[in-house]
Amino acid sequence: MISISPKVLVPGAEPTIEKKLDLTNLTPEQIALDINQLNLFYGKKQALNNISMSIPKGQVTAFIGPSGCGKSTLLRSINRMNDLVDDCHITGEINLHGHNIYDKHVDVADLRRKVGMVFQRPNPFPKTIYENVVYGLRIMGENNRRNLDEAAEQSLRSAALWNEVKDRLHESALGLSGGQQQRLVIARAIAIQPEVLLLDEPTSALDPISTLTIEELINDLKKQFTVVIVTHNMQQAARVSDQTAFMYMGDLIEYSDTNTLFTTPLKKKTEDYITGRYG
Amino acid sequence: MDNLQVGRHISGQFNEDLERVINNVMQMGGLVEKQVADALVAVEQSDVALAKKVLSNDYQVNAYEVTIDDECTRIIAKRQPAAGDLRLIMAIVKTIADLERIGDEAEKIAKVALESFSSSQQDLLINLDNLGRRVLEFLQASLDAFTRMDYEAAVKIHQMDDKINREYEALMRQLMTYMMEDPRSIPQVMTVIWSARALERIGDRCQNICEYIIYFVKGKVVRHTTAENMKNL
Repeated sequence: MISISPKVLVPGAEPTIEKKLDLTNLTPEQIALDINQLNLFYGKKQALNNISMSIPKGQVTAFIGPSGCGKSTLLRSINRMNDLVDDCHITGEINLHGHNIYDKHVDVADLRRKVGMVFQRPNPFPKTIYENVVYGLRIMGENNRRNLDEAAEQSLRSAALWNEVKDRLHESALGLSGGQQQRLVIARAIAIQPEVLLLDEPTSALDPISTLTIEELINDLKKQFTVVIVTHNMQQAARVSDQTAFMYMGDLIEYSDTNTLFTTPLKKKTEDYITGRYG
Repeated sequence: MDNLQVGRHISGQFNEDLERVINNVMQMGGLVEKQVADALVAVEQSDVALAKKVLSNDYQVNAYEVTIDDECTRIIAKRQPAAGDLRLIMAIVKTIADLERIGDEAEKIAKVALESFSSSQQDLLINLDNLGRRVLEFLQASLDAFTRMDYEAAVKIHQMDDKINREYEALMRQLMTYMMEDPRSIPQVMTVIWSARALERIGDRCQNICEYIIYFVKGKVVRHTTAENMKNL
C-alpha cells in the first residue's frame, strides 16, 4: 500500500531538483583539473586541437566520441602516459591544483601517484590478491604489516570486492573473474590514495552484471576521488557521469552536465552522435 | 516530418520503428479530428445515426492509443533513445494521451444529439456552432503543426485557446440567462453546457499538443508559463 508522507501536503512544497554545476563558472576550489589550450601531436598529425575545459572535483566526468576522436589521448595526457609514445609532443597545459603537470620540474612518478589509471582489460600482476593491492604502497616504501593490512582491507572494501575475496587474500589474483579482476585493479589504484582516478573504458571487456557493479562502484568512488572515464558506451556515460564531454576529430565539441547533454544537446554533431545518426 | 530527420539513423530498424509510430500518430490524429467533426455535425443536424457512429468508433481511438503507447515503450526499452529522439517519444506519448481524451470529449458531444430538443429549444444548440467551429479549427491547426513539427506555428496557434475560453465564457453567460428566463429549459441547457465544456476542454488539450511540439523542437518545457515567457525562448 502506498502512503503519502504528510510533507507532500504542506502548502508551498516544491519538488526536489538535482543540483548542477555551472561548468563555465567554477571556483578554483571546485576544480580538480584545468585543461588549458591543449594541443597534442603524434609526429605531424595533430590529435588534439586546442582543448580547454575544467574538470570539477569529486565528480565523474565522461569523455565520449567515435573511435579516433582523441578521448583516450586526452585521458592519457592527464597522467602523462603519452610521454611513453615516441614522436608525441604537447603544447598548452593541464593544471592539477594550479600546477602545470607538464612543467619541467614535475616528477612523473609522483604525478602518477596522484593520478591513478585503470585500463580497458584488467591487468592484475601474477601475484596474490593481497600483494596486488599493496603493490603501490610497497613501492612507496611502506613495509609496516599492520598499515598494509589496513590499506588492503580499506581499498578492497571501497572497490566493493572485500566480501568476495576476504577469505582468499593470499591466493593468486589470476583466479578471479574478469569483473573481480577489474575491481581488484581499481582497488590497487585507490590503495595509494590518488586524487584523480582515470578509467579508460573500464567495463568494455566485462559482462553486463559486472559492468553494473563497476558503475555502482564509480558512483561510490566519486565521494573520495575525482573520476574521469572514457567510454564507448553512451548509456554508460549517461548513467555514471555528472559531466559529459563529446569529442570529434580531436576537437572538444560540447561539454556540459550529463542531463543536458543527453536530453537537449546544443550542437548538431552531438545530437547526431548520441542519437546514432550519420554525421 | 522533415524536421524530424527520422530516416537518418544508422540503424534501419530504428528508422522503421519510429516511422511506424509517427504514422500511427498521424492516423490517430486524423481519426480524432473526424470524430469531433462528426459529433458537431450530428448535434447540428440532430443526426442520431451519425452520433451513434461516433460513439461506436471511440474504441478505434482507444486502440490507437494503446498500440502507440506499447510501441513507444518498446522503443525506449530496445533503443534507449536520446536527445531529439527521446523528446520525440516523450512528445508522442503525451500527445496521444491528449488525443485519446479529445476522443472522449467527442463522445460526450455526440451524446447531445441523442437527446430530444423541442423545436423551440433547437436554437440553444445553434450557440454551440461557433464555438465548435473554432475548436475544430484549433484541433486541425495543432495536428498540422505536429505533422510538420512546426515550432513557429505551434507558438502562434497556442494563443487560439484564449479566444476559445472567452467565447466559452460568453456562451455560459448566455445559457444562464436562458435558465433564469425559463426554468423548464434547465435540463436541456445543462446538456448544452456539458458539451460546451467538452469543447472548451478540447481547446485546452490542443494547447497541450502545441506545448509538446515546442518541447520537441526547443527542448524547453513551456507548460504553465506565460505567453511572454514563451516568446522569449
